[in-house]
Amino acid sequence: MDAFEYASPTTKEQAVALLAGEWGSTELLAGGTDLLSLMKDYLVTPKRVVNIKSVQELKGLRYTAGSGLRLGALVTIAELVEHPQARKEYPALIQAAEGIASPQIRSLGTVGGDLCQRPRCWYFRNGFGLLAKDEQGGSLVADGDNRYHAILGNSGPAYFVNPSSLAPALIALGAKVQLFGPGGARELSLDRFFVIPKTEQDREYALKPNEILLEVLVPPATKVRSATYEVRQKEALDWPLVAAAVALNLDGNKIRTARVVLGHVAPIPWKAPEAEKVLAGKTVTEDLAAEAGQAAVSQASPLSRNAYKVQLARVAVKRAVLQAAQGGV
Amino acid sequence: MASEMRSIGKPTPRIDARERVTGQARYTGDVQLPGMLYARVLRSPYPHARIVRIDVSKAKAMPGVHAILTKENCRIQWSSGDSRNKRLLFNDPVRFVGDAVAAVAASDRHTAEEALQQIVMEYEELPFVLDMEQALAPGAPEIHPGGNLSPNNEGERAPETDQRGDVERGFAEADQVFEDVYISKHHNNAQMEPRVSVAQWEGSRLTVWASTQGISNCRRDLAKDLGLPLNQVRVICQYMGGGFGNKNQCHDFDLMASALAKETGRPVKLEFTRAEDFVAVHGRWPTKQYYKVGVKKDGSLTAIRMKAYSGMGPYRKGSGGVAGAQLYRCPNVKTEVYPVYTNMAVSANYRAPSYPQGVFGIESLMDHIAHTLGINPLDFRLKNMTEKYHDEVPYSSYGLRDCVTRGAEALGWRQKWHPPASDRGAQKQGVGMAMGYFGAGLGMSSAVLKLNPDGSLQVHVAVTDIGTAAKTTMGLLGAEAMEIPFERVSVLSGDTDRAPYSVGESGSRTTNYTGYAVVTAAEDLKRQLRELAAQSWSVAADAVQYSQGAVYMQDRPDRRTAIAEILKGNPDGLIAQATTDPKLKGVSRNSFAAHFVELEVDTETGDIRILKYVAAHDSGRILNPLTAGSQVKGGVAQGVSMALREELLYDQMTGIPLNPGYYGARIVTHGDVPDVEVIFVETADPYGPYGAKSVGEPPIVPSVAAIANAVFNATGIRIKELPITRSKILDAAPGVRLEGGRA
Repeated sequence: MDAFEYASPTTKEQAVALLAGEWGSTELLAGGTDLLSLMKDYLVTPKRVVNIKSVQELKGLRYTAGSGLRLGALVTIAELVEHPQARKEYPALIQAAEGIASPQIRSLGTVGGDLCQRPRCWYFRNGFGLLAKDEQGGSLVADGDNRYHAILGNSGPAYFVNPSSLAPALIALGAKVQLFGPGGARELSLDRFFVIPKTEQDREYALKPNEILLEVLVPPATKVRSATYEVRQKEALDWPLVAAAVALNLDGNKIRTARVVLGHVAPIPWKAPEAEKVLAGKTVTEDLAAEAGQAAVSQASPLSRNAYKVQLARVAVKRAVLQAAQGGV
Repeated sequence: MASEMRSIGKPTPRIDARERVTGQARYTGDVQLPGMLYARVLRSPYPHARIVRIDVSKAKAMPGVHAILTKENCRIQWSSGDSRNKRLLFNDPVRFVGDAVAAVAASDRHTAEEALQQIVMEYEELPFVLDMEQALAPGAPEIHPGGNLSPNNEGERAPETDQRGDVERGFAEADQVFEDVYISKHHNNAQMEPRVSVAQWEGSRLTVWASTQGISNCRRDLAKDLGLPLNQVRVICQYMGGGFGNKNQCHDFDLMASALAKETGRPVKLEFTRAEDFVAVHGRWPTKQYYKVGVKKDGSLTAIRMKAYSGMGPYRKGSGGVAGAQLYRCPNVKTEVYPVYTNMAVSANYRAPSYPQGVFGIESLMDHIAHTLGINPLDFRLKNMTEKYHDEVPYSSYGLRDCVTRGAEALGWRQKWHPPASDRGAQKQGVGMAMGYFGAGLGMSSAVLKLNPDGSLQVHVAVTDIGTAAKTTMGLLGAEAMEIPFERVSVLSGDTDRAPYSVGESGSRTTNYTGYAVVTAAEDLKRQLRELAAQSWSVAADAVQYSQGAVYMQDRPDRRTAIAEILKGNPDGLIAQATTDPKLKGVSRNSFAAHFVELEVDTETGDIRILKYVAAHDSGRILNPLTAGSQVKGGVAQGVSMALREELLYDQMTGIPLNPGYYGARIVTHGDVPDVEVIFVETADPYGPYGAKSVGEPPIVPSVAAIANAVFNATGIRIKELPITRSKILDAAPGVRLEGGRA
């Protein structure tokens, strides 16, 4: 990698002041599990790396029955997984966190990093850019090896899938994020944090180049049953091929409302209102869960080599619904 | 030979286990020398291109940059990098993404990497070809002059052919003829330790700390390619972190480090990244295998014909063989293999190089034939397996039939086997089996044994121990032959200045080759001891006997004189050297294996979960059950990975490898690998030291086919192209019966 300037601020104000107003010249370092490989592969070549690990305000995991869970951006995946109340209240989130990479990476990787990691698209990782265009402006993905790419939200120009493991569960659980920039803090519903880039200069999230993610707020879920079902190629050190997070707001046996969010199927975590509609007002049965799975992929349009992901998404939703209804981590 | 084994056959932890797990073992990457420079390599981003211009002036002017090698100032040939063509360290045209175009030595790694960015390369892109059959089609881009069919061993542009009987007559005699195609992919060896080399010159003498499987071969190749006398080259590899066949001989990085060290007058370390390791060295050759097999109604075979293509990448570094048909008794057999140049990564040796892919083909097809004829696959094999090489030459020892029957029993084959896709519902269980074999050859190797005056023994052998516990095995053999405790033996290895020629850790041959030399040298030590005693006792040498660290007069076995007493006047102890080259007499020599798998397929997600895995092996007498068992388990892990996960993928439009690395190529982790029940069918082979045969490579051989056959038994889906991924199961799954016979 190229030489770079290293900054280690101790407050959020210092941190954002060290960030440039445009993407590319500065990068944030937290767990570093993604940033270092991006830098080694010359996919990002920052002039300055801003280490935020010494910013105390970004740390800390807190749960209260009244306000729910507060996850500082620097909370590690391991801290989250080991938190007794989080385990009890948010099974979907814990199941997603437990699926991440390996114990070593869960000990280093952070919640903020999981949400802000860059896509695993192999064209992107091989230096062809986020939108992976060939010299004539055509898509390398659409005509190439797209077996792991998007089956939803893939009308172009982006075909990669959002790599976050936690986002589908967090969105299903109604999480918000606090962002902080030179103008102060702003709050955003997590589903609005992710955006589908239109140009090579855009990023996959709503952060401005000189903003940082402060914390994630998850509302109380005492009456909610949730689950995440992931389909991976390998047991460990892998990103899922498909994931489904489901949160059911129950009234006895009956679903009052449901949230269904798919991961790794679209350039953003993909909400499936069609499935939510199927579930609302019903009692969970195997048939209903299968129907929800079918509805979740009703808009899917697979690329040339990833039709199997439609089937995986359908099954993942079905199994997540059944798992959520049974409860427990 | 002692009648009762003392060291052999007992589970013995590795002689260097403690150093390895406590971080004290000094691997090549740990070597730090004063003033050492760090080197990095610039590689072609194109699969096939002519170099139009190289401008290193900006890079060379950078502070900290000491030397830059390109094709313009370095014409060193890497002779072991290609057996057919003249392959240089830096080639023009470049022939695969990752072909080296420049190497930089700088004061630190980052400066070297920044310098790579400053080298201006201008290429003229050439048409490229990735597919083996397309590479042989008329009009295909020519990767080497003369075409893309790599010459055979006779130098002819013709396939490697093996033939007996008359296959056409065999097909005419058949009641039924089966034709099928099986495809295997390029897999990287994926050993833990990346490629690394440290080179240092002292005057005209070169020392290379290598990460090699064979220091003797590495020295020979370095001397040859650099034009040095052998006594001016020293190769050291005390510990190495795995190779599985891709660290044989010397490599381009050894030569580059040596050349850069010469140029700069400083030691140079060159270490590859994981991605370079996956792309720039070599992996297993992909194959496409066309079979035609004739059978009688009763299931006996009348003819086997195979025509196979092996993708060698653009340089011929390996044989390209496709093995497997040898498993079956059949009067008419013809196999033709076409090793083909392509613009993919180079293919060469990876654990049992020709075997798991060929056995996947033939054992899948035999399974299919058994199924079609309504014969239990186990019975079909018991009927058709051959017990002789080419149905003619007896084996030196033969345990395959026992492997099959004992493995089947351990799995519960007779209880568990059912017609394909018998389970109702989405979760379907099934069992599968496959047989395998691997050559257990004999050949030349050397050992020096030093018996110290206190009775302790030093074994000097040039083994490097790539993970097979070869150092431990050499110590066990020394201990056994001298009938002394293993704790009294030390093994000095991994340094060409301190040890005589060893064959190198490849071909599963260290125990058979170098181990034989150790035992022979020990016999000589015992002879010397007897002669010394005879001299001092003024008796004839044959009146003196040796056992368990002591000599005695034949007629007085109770009056024993210890080694230390015999060597009292001999402060330097005794030295024995043996160079052995045993030959087979009228027999062929193989290790054998049969693997049995029970698994469950989730036909909704394509998930495959192995429930039980039995690996039965005939590797002769097992010298160390602990480390031999580890070899089997490791081989199964790689077999599972090859069957279900791994593939180096290429983008067809750009010719770039898409997923080099552990994550991308989906190399299995512990969580993906089942517990393995290991059964050793111990045949006492008359040629091996204490009856041992080979154990390193055989365990991967039947694994892939056994898993594929179990998937078929579970689902009724026959996947003919590796790896058996979720997408392949799901794409075939609409044809899966969800209403089977079993509840």
